[in-house]
This record gives sequence, structure tokens and C-alpha cells, in this order.
Amino acid sequence: MPSSAPGVDVLEARQLEVTFPGAAVPALRGVDLTLGDEKMIVVGANGSGKTTLIKAFLGLVRPTGGSVRVLDQDVDRIQGATGLSTNLAEVYRLVSLPIGDLVPVFAALKGGDPRELRERLHEFGLDDVLGKRMHELSTGQQKLVGDLLATSFGPRLVLLDEPFDNVDFARRRQLVKRLREISAAVLLNTHELELLANFGGWKLGLMFEGHLFGPFRVDELDRLFLSRGARSGALAEMTTSLGTFSITLDAGDRPVKSATSLNALMEALA
Amino acid sequence: MNLWGPYTKAMLTNRTLWFWAVVFMGFWLAIGAFVESQGLSLVGASLRNYATSWYAVIVLFSLSMLAISIANSMTYGSGALAYSFRFTRLTPESYFGSVVGGSAVLGIVLSFVLIGATTAMFAIRFGSVLLPADVPALLGISLLGGVFYMALSMTLILVVINYLGLKSASFIGFVPLLFSYALGIAQAYVRLPDWLLYGSPFNDIASLLYQGFAGYPSAAVLGEANAAPLDWAPLTAGIVVWTLLLTGTSLLLLRRIRARQLEEGRQI
Repeated sequence: MPSSAPGVDVLEARQLEVTFPGAAVPALRGVDLTLGDEKMIVVGANGSGKTTLIKAFLGLVRPTGGSVRVLDQDVDRIQGATGLSTNLAEVYRLVSLPIGDLVPVFAALKGGDPRELRERLHEFGLDDVLGKRMHELSTGQQKLVGDLLATSFGPRLVLLDEPFDNVDFARRRQLVKRLREISAAVLLNTHELELLANFGGWKLGLMFEGHLFGPFRVDELDRLFLSRGARSGALAEMTTSLGTFSITLDAGDRPVKSATSLNALMEALA
Repeated sequence: MNLWGPYTKAMLTNRTLWFWAVVFMGFWLAIGAFVESQGLSLVGASLRNYATSWYAVIVLFSLSMLAISIANSMTYGSGALAYSFRFTRLTPESYFGSVVGGSAVLGIVLSFVLIGATTAMFAIRFGSVLLPADVPALLGISLLGGVFYMALSMTLILVVINYLGLKSASFIGFVPLLFSYALGIAQAYVRLPDWLLYGSPFNDIASLLYQGFAGYPSAAVLGEANAAPLDWAPLTAGIVVWTLLLTGTSLLLLRRIRARQLEEGRQI
């Protein structure tokens, strides 16, 4: 089974560009990202390019520039690398059967034990999904089943796209606990800034209009400020359609943590 | 890693496929048995020729429904396949083998369900029970037919997925059905040239199904009496060669599968 050695970067994007056919603007613009055996959360508004970033790492969208490596291999050449998992629903549309029939299939595909997934579904109160097909589940159930598939069978790297979307409060808490405890590298996308408080110690990226800024640290969130224009000593400078913004430490126009979303913060400053 | 079991189960429990490949085909068989037969003097050999022609053409149509089902499944699952070949134990070869296995089973099931339907309807209409003469031969050609339609469907839809984009998926997915209807109906009514009768896999299947059910070779025009029979050996060779060619092509294309967004296929 191809896999990277411990200590080696499990994800690497270099000047990654993605422009969809017919699109006027790129979905990803010059993204540089390196992730070792660590966890990172990327925050950005809907449409900022977060899902495209994950899909590029999975080989599901074709870069129009730059390079992508996962588990120390070119994503276009990788085969049978069971160590990478994701919660994207579209990757689980292999065959239309009830979830109960799919559990052993997905376990076998990853070389895992189906009992592990069944136990997790039980822990999350999802026993009733076993008799249903994926399209018969509620949006939140689909998301949770994807989250649990992604985090089961001992993955080395987990790519999670909006794992908390439509998930109820109690199960959000369960999922946060699971993600903090899992011994795998994690790249997690979300548009919810308020979730960051749960992920102390994780790396933090901010995504806006296809640009990825950072990495910062979630622990620094209280100290991060967004300011209009270029500032000397800024941690990052973001040139966007709303103008140029700087992310600074300890002083600036608005504290990042005060916003419900990065977009709202920028629009307030613009 | 083999998905033969889950795929076969999914195909066997696909209600849409059962409707179009069995119920709808039952409707056409009923037309053949109760409507088209009006005014015809059908007894003995002529009845067997007539009923067998309907069976052969209807199985061809039914298998084309299986092809559409496989094309739809692959269109919907292009992302899952692209992901699974990279990040699971599934390989293009094992996936292909799984679908071949499922299609072979479905080919046999559909063909034999339609044998029952043909026998029942013509028995009700004419009071004569027509049983297939060569069940092992029917088993073989139904299996081969299922695999051929699968390979054809997979090749066509992978060209769409990899190179053309999903906008044309709904049209290209129906190509096996269009050819089945055009060539199947044509063989039932007109004398097709020999190169087409032997070279077209659709007519190979129809002629061999005819021979399996009737117990004697088909004529150039299905059901025609006192005409030169078609030779089963080149018919079999034709369908085998087509299946092998399409199998190789679809495997090559499968290794290069691209993930496509379903939204691409939106027509309106």
C-alpha cells in the first residue's frame, strides 16, 4: 500500500491554480500549502474555493497550474493509497445499496473492519440509516455518514469538507471530540468561524476568493486582526476584489474572532 | 477487491431496470402475441418462428436497457470511481470484472424471465406451450449478450466522461438502445446484407438467441421459413470479437476516468 513515511508531508500544493472551463475567474489562485502529520482548519466563505481545494487534493478537479502531491505522490499517479479518506458524498456513490450493505463494502475497500464503522454509527445514534440508501438520508445524516466513513479504518490523512453542515448540536460535539482525538493528519474546511474555538493547537488557514492565507495557529485567533490596506509587519496581505487587507498580530482595525464570517469582516472594513 | 456481489445485488434490485427491461418489454411481447398476430395463420413451425422472432428482438431491447442503466450508474459515479482507484483497494480491472460479472448475471436473468413471458403470452394466445429448445446455448448467448452490452455501454459513456463532458451523456447513453431497435426491427422485416448480419453484434445476438430458442438456425430475416440459414460459428465469432474489442477499449478508458460534476449533464 503506497503511503508516506512518518514526518514526510502528507499534503503539498505548490502554486496551485484551478480555473473551471468557461469561468471568468479562477477558483484557486496560486495556493501554496504543506501539511505534515498535523491538523489544519481552513476557514472561508461559501464560494471561496475550499471545496475545490479538497477536490484538487483528491484528484477530482484538474489543476490548470501548479502541482499537487498527497502522501508523497503525484495525485495523478497515485493508486491504492488507502490512507487518505474524505467525507465528500460524491466519492461514496459507487453502488446504490442500503448503508447496511455498503458498510462491509467500504470497509473492504479501505482494508478495515466493518464493525468499526457500525460501532461509530451506533455511537452517533445513526443505527436507523443502515436500512436506507444514501439518497434517502437527511442532509445532516448524509454529512455525518460521510464524516464517519472518512474517519474510520485508520486513515493517515483525512480531508473534510464542511463536516458540521446540517449536523445537530449534540452530534457536533461528538464530532469535534472525534476529530480532536483521531490520530491522523486532518485538513478541515468550514465557513463557520465560531467553530475555531474547538480546535486549539490546529493550524489555521484563511481562504478568500481562491487565495489561501496562512498558516496561522488557531491558538492565535484572539490575537489576529484584519486591517484595511497594507500594514508593515503584517502576517499576510490579501489582495481581493474588495481591496487590500492585512492580517496583523495584536493590533489592527477589527479582531478576526469578532466576525461570524471572513466575508462579513472584510465587507465591514471595505 | 471485488464488488461483484454488491453490483449484482444492486442491479437485481434496481426497480427502474426491472420496469424498462422486463415490464415494458412484456408490453411489447403482448403486442406481438395479441395484436401483431391478428390475421396471421400461426400454427406449428410458423408459430414457433413468429414467437421466437419476438423473443430474440425483445431480449435485444431488454439488454439495451441494461446498457442504459450501466451508463447512468457510471455517469453518476465518475467521482466515486476516480477517487476509489486512487484511494481504495479498488482497481480499474477489479471494478470492470465486477460489472462484467453483474452484467452476465443480469443478461441471463433478463433473458430467462423473457423466455417465461414469451412462453406464457403465446400459450395464452395460441394455446400452445413453446419451450426453448437449447437452454445451455441460450444461457451462453444471454451471458455473452449481457457482457457485450456492458462493454459497449461502458466504452461509450467513458468517452463522454473522459473527453466530451456530461452534456452529451443522456444521448450517448441511449446509443445501444437506438442500434438495438434499428437493427433488431430491421432484421425482423427486411433482408439485411450478410456483412451486417454477421458483422453487427446486435444481429449476431438476435440470430443466436433465435437459434437457441427455436432449436434451428435463424434465416437472414428473423422467422422467415424456407430461407438459407445463418451460420452460428461466424455469428458467435462476431459477438466474441466485438466484446473483446470493447472490453479492451473500456478498460483503457476506465484507467483514465475523470471525475465529472453531475450539473454538467443538466439539459435545461
